[in-house]
Amino acid sequence: MAYTLTYESVVKTPNPMVKINPLKRGSGKTVSLQDRVDTLNKSAAWKKTTKLWAAMNKEFDLTRLPKVSMEPLGVLDIDEDIQRALDEKHCANTIANPLVFDPALLQPVVCIKTSDGRYISIDTQHTVSTIAGLIDAGLMPGVTDWKTFEYPFTYIETDNLAYARRAFGILNGKGKKKQSAYQQLRNSVFIVRIDKDTTDEDDVNLEKKVSIAEKNNCFPVETDSDLGKYPGTFTNIATFKTLSNNEVEVACGWHNKYFHYENVHVSLFFIFRDLCRQFSSAKIKLTPTFQEELAALVQSCFGNLSQFQESVTEAHRRWTTKRYGYQAAWDDDAYACALIQLYQHFGGKETVAPTLLDHFDGLIEFFDQDILAMADNQNMLAMAD
Amino acid sequence: MYYLYLIQSPFGRPGFGIMETPKERNKQYCSHMGGIVNMRIYGGLRSHAKALERTIKTQYVDNIWTIDDWETEWLNDTVPMRQLEEYVESLIKERHFRLKLIVPEWNFTQDLPD
Repeated sequence: MAYTLTYESVVKTPNPMVKINPLKRGSGKTVSLQDRVDTLNKSAAWKKTTKLWAAMNKEFDLTRLPKVSMEPLGVLDIDEDIQRALDEKHCANTIANPLVFDPALLQPVVCIKTSDGRYISIDTQHTVSTIAGLIDAGLMPGVTDWKTFEYPFTYIETDNLAYARRAFGILNGKGKKKQSAYQQLRNSVFIVRIDKDTTDEDDVNLEKKVSIAEKNNCFPVETDSDLGKYPGTFTNIATFKTLSNNEVEVACGWHNKYFHYENVHVSLFFIFRDLCRQFSSAKIKLTPTFQEELAALVQSCFGNLSQFQESVTEAHRRWTTKRYGYQAAWDDDAYACALIQLYQHFGGKETVAPTLLDHFDGLIEFFDQDILAMADNQNMLAMAD
Repeated sequence: MYYLYLIQSPFGRPGFGIMETPKERNKQYCSHMGGIVNMRIYGGLRSHAKALERTIKTQYVDNIWTIDDWETEWLNDTVPMRQLEEYVESLIKERHFRLKLIVPEWNFTQDLPD
């Protein structure tokens, strides 16, 4: 049976993201706090919340504001039932790492002050332990006793330890808006591109990866961003970061050549990461012919990778139910394996990594019949010819 | 066979969707709208019908009619029906979706052509 699927080219139009890509350069602007207040005042969610305050007669209690003072480190206690056990390696290798240690980046102590004058830490124990340890090691010129060393404390006056416990939860994630994966990536990229700072290897490597993607008209964007409607955009930063530079090049190059009119579906990264690694181990080349035939398969049978993902997920559900008697959890390895199985089902002749054929044995039998029937029709047409 | 349909509400609003059983879906629309309503129907591969529907949603993301926060399968009434039809037909042609126009105007009282 000959492979009869052919990729039909789609006219390439200029991608607006090339010009409006927010990572290309920073906006270069700072805005006033007034700008943010104006934004809030236009927000429906904000209006709803302020109305709720009024309805509940809730007001901003100024007496509850945290207080700030300079206190000697010796007055601080750490409640082990509130804070985690000390992670010595975090102090040694991360905070006190001599290559990156910068006192300007230290956070003030966050604690409660009880009515009997005790300060109990609810956050930053690693920071203060590191500072005290450095003084103890004689590494702070002119300071010999860490207990009398004055450091900024921010505190709330309370005797309620439950309150402190809750505050610790909020400071360490619960209730706090975390930096998204995209924001972290953007920081790394801007450190290299705008600040021209290449001292951090991780930042440099990530910026390089993003550059390779951009060269192939693929652009990371924030989840739910308005930019998500443009071709080449993707939001799954975590998976993107797991690819090597070469894998990014192959994956994004394939997308840009064949599906430049679509968003980048996350399955692209899983597929090409697995193909590159398995083919490389087997010393098999991902030939241009093979790549084009895969594009023909995706285009002909599914329209795009998004639809391939929907079909393979359903096939996987049926396959695990039949094989194990229950619906097993989705396995990202199934993307590449299913694609290779389909490729051979349609008569693909290029050499493929055998490890991809051993996995998920018989998965393709669980794809929709209209997809599988296409292979039979192709076969009949080929025989008639 | 799976179907993508375009439909116009009595208020002129263009709508779209996918379906497996045209008769049942059309009856539901007629029931809600209180009268016979025609659909423009494209048929083909299920995966391609779904991919095309998703493309419409992405392209018209700023023009999806929402009721509170619920995104409906209707477009804002500023989008002309003809524009949606032309967009779908250009997608089928230019992106090689395996779908073809089955019937330009159809309702459940009629037989559906193959």
